[in-house]
Amino acid sequence: MTPKLLPSLIAVIDIGTHKTVSLVGQMINGKARMLGFSERRTDGVVKGTVIDLERLHRCVHEVVNDVERSSGRSIEHVYLSLSGPAAEGERIKGIHAIPAHDGKVTAKDVTDAIASAKRLEPPAGRATLLYMRQPTTIDGRAVANPVGMAGKRLEVHFWRVTMEEGNMRMRVGMVNGMSIKVQDFILASHAAACATASDSDKQGVLVVDMGAGTTDWILYYKEHILCAGSIPVGGEHMTNDLSVALRISRETAEDLKLRFGSAMHREADANQTIWKDGDRGLGDQQFNRGTITQVLSLRYQETFEYVKKDIIQHLEQLFPGHAVKLDQYFLPAGIILTGGSANLADAAEAVHAIMQLPTRIGVPTFENDSLRKPEYAGVVGLMTAAITDSPPPVRRPRGFLASLKDLFRF
Amino acid sequence: MERPPSILLVGLGGAGCSIVARLATRLPPEIGVALIDTDTRSFQQLPGATVVQIGRAQTRGMGTGGEAALGSASAESDETALRRIFTGVPIVVMVTGLGGGTGSGAAAVVAGYAAEVGATVLTFATMPFSHEGERRQRQANEATGVLGLKCHGLVVVHNDLLLQQVATDAPLSESFAAADAWVGGALRALAGAFTPGALVAADPAALRSILANPGSPTLFAFGVGTGEGAAMKAARAASECPLAHGPSSVTKVASLFVHVTGGPTLTTTAAFEAVAAVRTRFGGETSTIVCARVNPDLGDRIEVSVLGASLPAPKSPAKAKKGAKAGDPSQPMFEFATEEAMRRGLFGGTPMTFIDGQDIDVPTYIRKAVRLPASP
Repeated sequence: MTPKLLPSLIAVIDIGTHKTVSLVGQMINGKARMLGFSERRTDGVVKGTVIDLERLHRCVHEVVNDVERSSGRSIEHVYLSLSGPAAEGERIKGIHAIPAHDGKVTAKDVTDAIASAKRLEPPAGRATLLYMRQPTTIDGRAVANPVGMAGKRLEVHFWRVTMEEGNMRMRVGMVNGMSIKVQDFILASHAAACATASDSDKQGVLVVDMGAGTTDWILYYKEHILCAGSIPVGGEHMTNDLSVALRISRETAEDLKLRFGSAMHREADANQTIWKDGDRGLGDQQFNRGTITQVLSLRYQETFEYVKKDIIQHLEQLFPGHAVKLDQYFLPAGIILTGGSANLADAAEAVHAIMQLPTRIGVPTFENDSLRKPEYAGVVGLMTAAITDSPPPVRRPRGFLASLKDLFRF
Repeated sequence: MERPPSILLVGLGGAGCSIVARLATRLPPEIGVALIDTDTRSFQQLPGATVVQIGRAQTRGMGTGGEAALGSASAESDETALRRIFTGVPIVVMVTGLGGGTGSGAAAVVAGYAAEVGATVLTFATMPFSHEGERRQRQANEATGVLGLKCHGLVVVHNDLLLQQVATDAPLSESFAAADAWVGGALRALAGAFTPGALVAADPAALRSILANPGSPTLFAFGVGTGEGAAMKAARAASECPLAHGPSSVTKVASLFVHVTGGPTLTTTAAFEAVAAVRTRFGGETSTIVCARVNPDLGDRIEVSVLGASLPAPKSPAKAKKGAKAGDPSQPMFEFATEEAMRRGLFGGTPMTFIDGQDIDVPTYIRKAVRLPASP
């Protein structure tokens, strides 16, 4: 008996520091069609780290309820994004000596090499989340498909992302508590890149996803993930800096940041006086615009200096002895800046000034207009990545007995 | 032995000693000076001063090398010598630089001895610059928590904030000099209040009444104005004083001590106008003690200095006393924890995140000491 195939349902949840977004889509002829969408202010997460699980649980539950209501489907499997300091990447390799008789690589040699790479244990207390394939080499030469080629030494490389075991268990447990299974974790920066960078961009591009709590970056070279990292600074820090500098509340600071903020500080800003509410009524306050842009631009620029430093450190580790320069020969597509903090005025200009690479704001390509904003690159990309990287399971209609079995499974 | 001075100015540790040594020559004779350090070289800056070399056995006349534990052990080993210099002194003003070994380690111990022999202890403590590194920062933060409980008044001077007053391209020596100048100015203004010849006089007892309880939040501000409306300008400068805007500063206090100094042209109206302006800014509902004096050298300049503290419930002295004796750490410690959080704003209470030895949750402009354009 062959099971009848149903168009598979894909659900993704992106839990960010600022907001939690969920999207439900359906694969139709290889393309995703959106069925439902919901969004809520995240509760219980600071700087990308969960501080109050109960509040986060309630928030995610509400998001899931909303998206189920708006799509009219019940969710059983979900893809989760993974970002910030919890996820750490490293390069691992598997080496396999090709048997000498004819020096040709067989499919089994490749499997053996992969197995030897995956045998490497992750650091204590961390669990492996995913492997991203990097170029395979034969005697140091990069090849697309080694099978049938001749050589002595076959090396396979992976970018391995690991996560703190406790943190992973917590997230899985939270979703399981809503009787939903976690299909897979997807690296948030990879997701953001999938939504904003084309395959030709991925010949050499840096994608920076600057959210509220963390700034995640990922580097693609020749269509492979070369390395990825995260800086625990985001839009919240800019709001915080502003509230400390002007002695105003977080809400006011957030509002001023959006209305008058900029990632570039110009001399002329200091001559400009702005009103907090604009109605010049009771409690309205005057501020110097220069103060706002100065505070924000310093933080923005510093963050990208950290990103640059982090990338260079990673590259030095990957290519010891080679001084790899972050220039246009290495990254022809330049930088794609995305995430909520990419909305700050002059963001691309500021990043260009620091990194000396052409920079553009990444907007997800999606059928739905309301999601074509940098802050939704993460969730849209999650869906794109889910489809391209690990096709979702085909849902089979389940009989009554199967559901009953499910109930009693431990 | 001669009669003990009414105020004893104590320099503790390398930084404290050099600030006090620079000030000592311009102090009125009522104020005594003492230097306390592990490193004998500190004493050479001020020959003839009362000196206490602590921790001879531990450090052999060298510094502590940044070890706070060594600093506190040094002070404990010379308990008798320390108690002797504080005996009979009503007010001890201690100056120290936190972050290093002697300042961070010994300050709380020394302040404790002074308080135990009956002195009212007011401490000026400078916090290290962010770029001095994570370790010194942490050591200094820990020290303020303990020190705040031992002193009657603790004014924390954040070097990072002072640096904002200095031009961005200023050399390092200048930024340290700025920190010294602020503490020096504050001490001079305070000392001036007790020099005879004031128009509206205050006596050291007034200071004791303001700083009655150990562990209470302290406020210190200092401002200078010149020319037309100098008094108001000075009062305004005082309310914008970086010493009063530190993360551990309080904005409103119950008791105030306001000291106005001006040239021969200082009028009573101007002086009290300044006092009124300071009161609107800082409070002082329970009591405000005013002191005014004329200093012919000042010309048309007017200086205003403000010292204040929140008295915990004056109606129940028994309870306050009990709290002070038992050293009940819960309440004041909590106070300090939240004050530290003010520097980190909304991230207060979350674990610190360090990159290159800096707590990156602290605003960039504070860490890089960038001067912000003035608000309208």
